[in-house]
Amino acid sequence: MKSTPRILVAMLLGATATTGSAFAAGTHPVTGETLAEHQVFTYRVLDEHSSVDPQIVEDVSGSDIVRDLFEGLMNQDAQGSLVPGTATSYTVSDDKLTYTFSLREDAKWSNGDPVVAGDFVYAWRRAVSPELASPYSWFMELMSIENAAGIIAGDVPVDELGVSAPDDRMLVVRLSQPLPYFPQMVTHATTFPVNPAVVEAHGADWTKPENIVSNGAYVLTEHIPNERSVRERNPMYWDAENVILEKTVALVINDENTALTRWLAGELDRTEVPAGQFPRLQKEYPGEAISFPRLCNYYYTFNLSASGPEAFRDVRVRKALALAVDRKIITENILAGGQIEAFTFTPAATAEFEVPDVEIASISQAERDARAKTLLAEAGYGPDNPLKFDMVYNTSESHKKIAVAMSQMWKQKLGVETSLANMEWKTFLEVRANQDFELARGAWCGDYNEASTFLDLLTSPSGYNDGKYSNAMVDELMTLARIADDTQAIYTRVEQEIADDVPIIPIYHYAGVYMMDSDVGGWPINNIEQNWYSKDLYKIAE
Amino acid sequence: MTAYIIRRILVAVPTLVILIVLCFFLMQVAPGGPFTSERPLPPQVLANIEARYGLDQPLWTQMWDYLVGIVTRFDFGPSFAYRDRDVNDIIAQGFPVTLTYGLISFVVATLAGMGIGVAAAIRHNTWLDYIAVGATFSAQALPNFVMAPILVIVFTWQLGWLPGGGWNGGQWQYLIMPVIALSTSYVASITRITRSSMLETLNSSFIRTARAKGLPEHKVIWRHAMKPAMLPVVSYLGPTFVAMITGSVVIDVYFSTGGIGRAYVDSALNRDYAVMLGVTILYGGLTVLFNLLVDVAYAWLDPKIRY
Repeated sequence: MKSTPRILVAMLLGATATTGSAFAAGTHPVTGETLAEHQVFTYRVLDEHSSVDPQIVEDVSGSDIVRDLFEGLMNQDAQGSLVPGTATSYTVSDDKLTYTFSLREDAKWSNGDPVVAGDFVYAWRRAVSPELASPYSWFMELMSIENAAGIIAGDVPVDELGVSAPDDRMLVVRLSQPLPYFPQMVTHATTFPVNPAVVEAHGADWTKPENIVSNGAYVLTEHIPNERSVRERNPMYWDAENVILEKTVALVINDENTALTRWLAGELDRTEVPAGQFPRLQKEYPGEAISFPRLCNYYYTFNLSASGPEAFRDVRVRKALALAVDRKIITENILAGGQIEAFTFTPAATAEFEVPDVEIASISQAERDARAKTLLAEAGYGPDNPLKFDMVYNTSESHKKIAVAMSQMWKQKLGVETSLANMEWKTFLEVRANQDFELARGAWCGDYNEASTFLDLLTSPSGYNDGKYSNAMVDELMTLARIADDTQAIYTRVEQEIADDVPIIPIYHYAGVYMMDSDVGGWPINNIEQNWYSKDLYKIAE
Repeated sequence: MTAYIIRRILVAVPTLVILIVLCFFLMQVAPGGPFTSERPLPPQVLANIEARYGLDQPLWTQMWDYLVGIVTRFDFGPSFAYRDRDVNDIIAQGFPVTLTYGLISFVVATLAGMGIGVAAAIRHNTWLDYIAVGATFSAQALPNFVMAPILVIVFTWQLGWLPGGGWNGGQWQYLIMPVIALSTSYVASITRITRSSMLETLNSSFIRTARAKGLPEHKVIWRHAMKPAMLPVVSYLGPTFVAMITGSVVIDVYFSTGGIGRAYVDSALNRDYAVMLGVTILYGGLTVLFNLLVDVAYAWLDPKIRY
């Protein structure tokens, strides 16, 4: 008698696993929307992803795939808030230096192996090991994990990394200094587990579809470089019964206009909107052209190092140039995709951050222009002695439009003469890193959702501080912010210092501008980092 | 003839070696490296990565190891951009794709171009000739990067007949637009060359003789005019063939075919040295090979040419 129900259950489970999600052609359990029969989401990516190895991946499109294939300790929800992933909960010690994560019992790899704390230890050691030489090992250092820096430098053995597994369900992480946003960082791909046996067995080939074993809601079933990659529902995933979307397909389409045509033809569910086309598309496809703030900024940086021009050492010159840029023209006429004018460095949408009031933001453009003229004249530049400098940006149609607009504004309002140069990406990076420029474009997308991911860039030791701005007060405040309970007051001070010193000209804060098919449900537009999970998406019946 | 071919092959080897050496050093001159990134890697991490790929060795050592790898193991090195693929993988995946649509485009372009060219020459100064000349001029003015998006707009969006891109193992629906986009301008060039060469041949004295002895026109054309008229066409077809099966980056980009042209351009942008070199060697080898084939074909077409 007892065996019959068990067989039935097994058969039912088997049927679910082979025929797919129980939701297909049903209704969404929360919203009640009627679900489409074919639960497939197809989206465009610009380039081939770098890797699907969690410890190797370094690009956004690769991380999007990795987030589906692997599950870290914590996930993000549609708002970007932390929700349990492979860990059900965590505790932090009183000195804020030790985090203890409890792992769920039912987490499994796609080959049926249980996911154990040791898999995380293996993965995290792998991320810092000089032998693997991960391009993202710096992230473990940023997480302040004990000994990470020493291991990367080759001074300390890998097994001394501050992470251990007292038992299969418990992961203990020791930090070298308190880090208030540490839990947010474990949603990053670098921290995701890998299956040690599979990695050891296949070496660098373990990420190929025929070898890969993963613990996320999806498994990689097909990958044709520069053409497509396909991930399908993982029946072994602990929450597989609540996963609606059967399959996610990423198509590599380099040209954004071709991608838009293919979206119009119904081949894609999601694609990016080319600069300037948003207003037209919004009118023609109401509800499908969407724009939302992103965790990225766009700015120009002055070269303040010894190799930079003399003129830029005068704060009045920098201020005048920053004032005379009419951001409204750039955001509304050139980009026209819901981008936000920027007068400060950190995007307003950053978690627990409020944009401080800076003077430049509160006055009208006419006032800014008038003030710019006065400042530049005071600095000794005018019609007889015009300010001249070079401006560089990496090759791109929209960067060019913005640079041309800025140089026109400066010419008309201030009589400034700029010469523009565009450069191929790697050349541009080299030129900027070697301070071989006068004014250069810069942009940054947050590595985690906290203001320090931006403001740290303007500290003296930062590797990305290409303008070589150095302000002891900023350095000190940012060090203080790492252990402070109330960071807003500190970040406000830092932003004010930056607004006074003008080492950079903030131009705008990015917006995600997509064409999204109206039958796609669950897209997390409020997740400012745009960390999306296929398991939270669904297709609505049309 | 055999001696000539052997001699040519022997000359090709040092040519390729010079190509490799030149390329190897020129690549290093380009600013930035494979691991230059927006967030500069900490020096220790960079050192670890460079050690992993032997980039910390002197250039001559790297060069020597590279050549030894090719000769002894047929190993063209790793990709710095993609860890789970080496150069051999990238070529093995991308080249068959490019070869497939390139070969089809070549056949289409050659048949169509020669057919239209010969017809236009025979019907010189008739409506057929005018249409052919007019159409080829317009086709040549339409580069494939303009043609490709137009095709996608018409056939994918407006008509909904063909997929807008992808490869899908080379299914015929996925081949049509790449082939049209790639072959159009070549059809135009081949038509023009064939037409003018045929016109010139048809005006020569041996054709007058053939006609005078009463041969029917089709025999005059096929038996006497065709071969000499083909000489300039063949010398154009050799390099064209190599260009079509290799340099189709526009097609790869617009139709997401996953071909080698895209991989080549990406490797240059990524400073993925070994991939760049590997594809250069492939292109170089093919160019040498097809130039040789053209020379051999010459001897067959024109009995006056002897090697």
